[in-house]
Amino acid sequence: MADFVKVLLVCGIGLGLGLLASAYALSRPSPFDRVRLGPWELAAHAGSTEADPYTRANLERSSEIPLAIGEGLQLIARVDDDGRPLDARCVYTVGPRVPPARYWTLSLIDPGGWPIGNPAERYGFRSSELLRAANGNFVITVAADVHPGDWLPIGRPGPFALALRLYDSPLGATAGAMDKTAVPRVTRVGCG
Amino acid sequence: MRGRFAVGEAAAYVAATAILAALVHLIVVLVVPLVATRDAFTRLEPLGALNETILLPRAGPAARLLPYVDPAVAMSFCRYDLTRGPIRVTAPSGRAFASISFHTRRGLVFYALTDKAATHGVIDAVLATPEDVRALAAHDDEEDPSRDLRIAAPAPQGYVAMRVFSELPSLYPEAEAEAKRLACKPELVPP
Repeated sequence: MADFVKVLLVCGIGLGLGLLASAYALSRPSPFDRVRLGPWELAAHAGSTEADPYTRANLERSSEIPLAIGEGLQLIARVDDDGRPLDARCVYTVGPRVPPARYWTLSLIDPGGWPIGNPAERYGFRSSELLRAANGNFVITVAADVHPGDWLPIGRPGPFALALRLYDSPLGATAGAMDKTAVPRVTRVGCG
Repeated sequence: MRGRFAVGEAAAYVAATAILAALVHLIVVLVVPLVATRDAFTRLEPLGALNETILLPRAGPAARLLPYVDPAVAMSFCRYDLTRGPIRVTAPSGRAFASISFHTRRGLVFYALTDKAATHGVIDAVLATPEDVRALAAHDDEEDPSRDLRIAAPAPQGYVAMRVFSELPSLYPEAEAEAKRLACKPELVPP
C-alpha cells in the first residue's frame, strides 16, 4: 500500500514538474539559437525549417509570421547596454548606427510583441524619416515624456522592449558573426 | 543498515520523478506544434477563403491579431492548399522594399523572394507539391522550357505572406494598395 502511494506520488510530481517546465520554456524565446549582440537578441533560424523544437513550439504559440533570412532580420532588446531591463521610468537613447540594410525600423513593443498605445500615435521610426547628422549618425530618444528630435514615446509604465528590423540586409545567416559595435547602443540617460 | 536502505530508496524515487518530468517536458515541446490552435494559419483562417488575398490591419495597439508586426510595413497573405493543385503567386514590386515569403501551416518559412527578384515589376512563382513540380516539368517543351520559378512546398497547406515597406507614414496607404495586389491563383497541371 505504501509503495503504491509512493509510485503515485512519483507520477504526480513528475507529471507536474514536466508540465511546469514546458509552460516555462514555451513562455519565452528558445534558449538555443539565440545570438546576443550587445543588448540585442536575434533568433538566427527563427522561421527557417532548421529551427529547433523549442523555437517551433514557440512560433506555434505566438503565431508570429517570422521574417525569412533573405527578407531581413529582427533584433529585440529587452535590456540596456549595461544589462538592466528596460524601464518605462527611464530615458534612453538609441544610436548612432545600424548594420547595413536597405531599410530599417526601430519600434517599441510590450514584452509580448504588441505595440503600446500612446497619445502621439508613434510606434516606431523608419530609416527613411530620421533626422541625421552630416555623417549619417542618428539619435532616437526613448522616453515617456516629450523630447526634442526623434522621440519614441513609452506609452505606459512597466517593462517594454525595442524591436530593430533590418530589411534586405546582406548579413542574413552570418548575423552571428556581426561585430558588437555594428548594432546601435541602448544607453540609459537617467531615471525619473 | 536500515537507514542506508531508506536513503537509497528515496534517491531512486527522486531519480524516477526527475526522469518522468524530463520525459513529460520533451513530449509536450514536441507535440505542441502538432496540436496548437493559436498558430498564424488558424488565426488567419476566419479572415478569408483559400487563395483569397487578405490585407492585415495596420499594427497598432487596437489591432491585436499577430504579434511582432512592423507598423511601417503593410502585410497581406493568402492561404493555400496544394492538394487541390498548384497555385501561381504574383505580386507587384514598387519603389520601396517588398517581399513574399512562403510558410508551412506550422509557420516555418521555406522560401522567400524580394522585389530584387522581380521581372518587369512583378514577382512571379508557382508553388506546388513535389509531385506536381515533377509533373509540370515533365510537360515542359524541350525546345522552349518554361521559365517559371517552381517552388516545391514541404507541406501541402500553408500561407504566403507579402510585406511592403512604406518609406513615410503618408505612404502607408500606397503600401497597403500594393500589398492588396498579391494574387494566389490556381494553376493548371496539364493532364
